Amino acid sequence: MSTNQSLLPARPIQRETGNIASDMNGEKVLLNVNKGKYFNLGEIGGVIWELLEQPMSIRSIVDQLLSIYAVERATCEQQLLAFLDQLLDEGLIFMHDEVRD
Amino acid sequence: MKKEWETPKLEVLHIK
Repeated sequence: MSTNQSLLPARPIQRETGNIASDMNGEKVLLNVNKGKYFNLGEIGGVIWELLEQPMSIRSIVDQLLSIYAVERATCEQQLLAFLDQLLDEGLIFMHDEVRD
Repeated sequence: MKKEWETPKLEVLHIK
């Protein structure tokens, strides 16, 4: 199901409530209680999921990931946006209305 | 030393 939303870089994003997360062999697995669906976010997806406990801008997430992983900023940002779009489509994250740095 | 980057992907698990 698509929400027809798209991510706006200036808007902070945060994870939705109603998901049970568990670590399995270094990967993050989620159960969405409302839909009864299970997701595997993988290792890096799990790191991103943990960061989204608080509202964060995409720039802030990229900065955090660059401090942990050996990757170019442009590559990181492009792949992060694609991943976050998937999370948004599944209703696992939401965008805040206000703009933050 | 930084960790190796992998493309993050969302995988839907089909568990009944």
